[in-house]
Amino acid sequence: MRHNEHSGGGRFPATRWSVVEAARSEDVVERAHALGALCAAYWKPVYKYIRLRWNRAAADAQDLTQGFFAELLERELLSRFDANKSRLRTFLRVCVDSFVMNEEKAARRQKRGGNSQHVALDFAGAEEELATATIDAASLASPESLEEFFEKEWVRSLFALAVENLRQLCVEKQRERTFQLFEVYDLEGDDNTSYQRLAAEYGIAVTDVTNALAWARREFRKIALERLRELCSTEDEFLREAKAVFGWGAE
Amino acid sequence: MRHLSDKALTRLRAGEKFPDLSGTRYQLIGQIARGGMGVVYAAEDETLQRRVALKVLEVPGAEGELASRLMREARVLARLEHPGIVPVHDVGTLADGRVFYTMKFVEGQRLDEYLDTVESIPDKLRIFLRVCDPVAFAHARGVLHRDIKPANIMVGSFGEVLVMDWGLAKIVAPTGGIPQVADATLYESAQPVSAENDETQVSVTTGHGTVLGTPGYMSPEQARGEVESLDGRSDIFTLGALLRFMLIERSPRGSVPRLDKSLEAICAKASAEQPVFRYATVQDLALDVSRYLDGLAVVAHRESIFEKAMRLYRRYRFFILLIATYLLMRLILLLVLKR
Amino acid sequence: MNKVLLGLLLGALLGAIDGGTAWFTPSVRAQLAGIIVGSTIKGLIAGMAAGFFARKVNSVPLGILFGLGVGALLAFIVAYMQHGYYLEIILPGSIVGMIVGYATQRYGMTPAPTR
Repeated sequence: MRHNEHSGGGRFPATRWSVVEAARSEDVVERAHALGALCAAYWKPVYKYIRLRWNRAAADAQDLTQGFFAELLERELLSRFDANKSRLRTFLRVCVDSFVMNEEKAARRQKRGGNSQHVALDFAGAEEELATATIDAASLASPESLEEFFEKEWVRSLFALAVENLRQLCVEKQRERTFQLFEVYDLEGDDNTSYQRLAAEYGIAVTDVTNALAWARREFRKIALERLRELCSTEDEFLREAKAVFGWGAE
Repeated sequence: MRHLSDKALTRLRAGEKFPDLSGTRYQLIGQIARGGMGVVYAAEDETLQRRVALKVLEVPGAEGELASRLMREARVLARLEHPGIVPVHDVGTLADGRVFYTMKFVEGQRLDEYLDTVESIPDKLRIFLRVCDPVAFAHARGVLHRDIKPANIMVGSFGEVLVMDWGLAKIVAPTGGIPQVADATLYESAQPVSAENDETQVSVTTGHGTVLGTPGYMSPEQARGEVESLDGRSDIFTLGALLRFMLIERSPRGSVPRLDKSLEAICAKASAEQPVFRYATVQDLALDVSRYLDGLAVVAHRESIFEKAMRLYRRYRFFILLIATYLLMRLILLLVLKR
Repeated sequence: MNKVLLGLLLGALLGAIDGGTAWFTPSVRAQLAGIIVGSTIKGLIAGMAAGFFARKVNSVPLGILFGLGVGALLAFIVAYMQHGYYLEIILPGSIVGMIVGYATQRYGMTPAPTR
């Protein structure tokens, strides 16, 4: 079990298949847990999407992001989601569009807070990421590019959560060096990064580097798949999303 | 929480895309094909110093029941030792947790590509007979293929024909020395498959729990999900569809050729809607095709007298020509010498 | 049917028919019976030879050529003995040889090897 305030309160209850189902639960605690997990995976893509697609200032976008997730809980929007008809992220993105348009019309701008489902929303961090990214808002005009952008940010968010969970796991298992190797090779590496170089830098054998990275990747994959499975309502959806996330089957 | 740059994202996805072969004796060379549920890579077996094809399931978290089913399936296939069936060399689990198996690396072309170089119908029929052989062999050992199609047949550089991708194979009542094992198929019947799917795609509608196959080649009973009642005649239906594809859709002139009535009848009998009207065994189908090639009457078609005469003429054409030459020569001699 | 037997029977039949066509030549009609017997034997020998050749050499073109050669040779011998009718005897005889040579190659069965 991974305890992490960013993960919406910990591992998902084993009795429930997915956040979508659990979000429809009668049990308030279970619902809150589910939305926490959903929020953890989606808040950043939603925020960036609102900033770029709707061209909102940072403060407005923060407000809208928090408002959206509050609305998700209050109006039980997820009850309308059908996994056979669309992907969850497409559904949420469309909900975000509706939400922002409605907010514009109603010109309601209540400051919302405290409904973040136990997820710390690091808006400042998200702003920094946007600043360093080279995205031209004008290039996001078409529905396809919007979908692509949202998907990419969602994958980034999912992987970032998985990396964080991996880091915590390595700390728990006293494998900090393993995580460092993973960071250096798989997150920061380039064509010049090699197992031999890492072995030399860390004063270990190449086989140790190989084994450490294999373990880390295996665990990263497992964690990422678990998080992804929580966000999917059917096995079919999970398989499709796994292929899209990991690029399997891409030519 | 750490921010992942685009570069990190790309590296993580790239790392996931290719299998982690560390800890195995294989060295990855590159991706060569993609199937419905797995990707096939070329790899170098460093111990035996030979190239192999390495298939990795793309089913995430393939542990437990799914992995053990694949292992059992690989064991069954390993016993189908036939020149026309790609042999399985090795099975195992990669360092990244994915299940894999290696098989013979086949250098050649897929059947649909190879047929572009084959013009004559007799040549196509001979290739078809070489497809029937391994299928009949598998049936004799209680294994159905269930996904015979041009994309799953390779023609090697020496003309050898191999039936590939036994991923949907089903063990029926086994005979011929293979001990009874639990059904090694990865998927079990649950829902019928939509006939609207693109014929060129494997109809992966859902994962675990749905009959898979290829619309356009799948038998009606397979499409209806009647897994328990499937027998060799389901593969015979597919072979009939394959034969039709080879003869008609891969015509070199581009236009739909008129098939000989006997061939048409063979295709129709093989791919009859009801299993009871099809050939009983693959050998029967192959035998009829052989009879056609030898200029003999086929079981699938009752000839008229005219058709029989034409067939006999075609079969003995040169002989008849010689006789006619003799008679003509006799006539000429008679007329010339009488003057 | 094996190649030698096929050659033998077909050669004899065609030889008999070939001999029978001598009836259309009035000048030799009186010797028809002898011509038919002779032609039958000629065909039989040519057929047997073609059959044996087909057992050794599996080639339709070569079989035809061999039949042609044997048929022509035997026909020449007969024509020489007749001191005439060279064209009427050699030409049909050659074609009969060709036919038998082809038939033994194409339709004759090779005997199964002994185990």
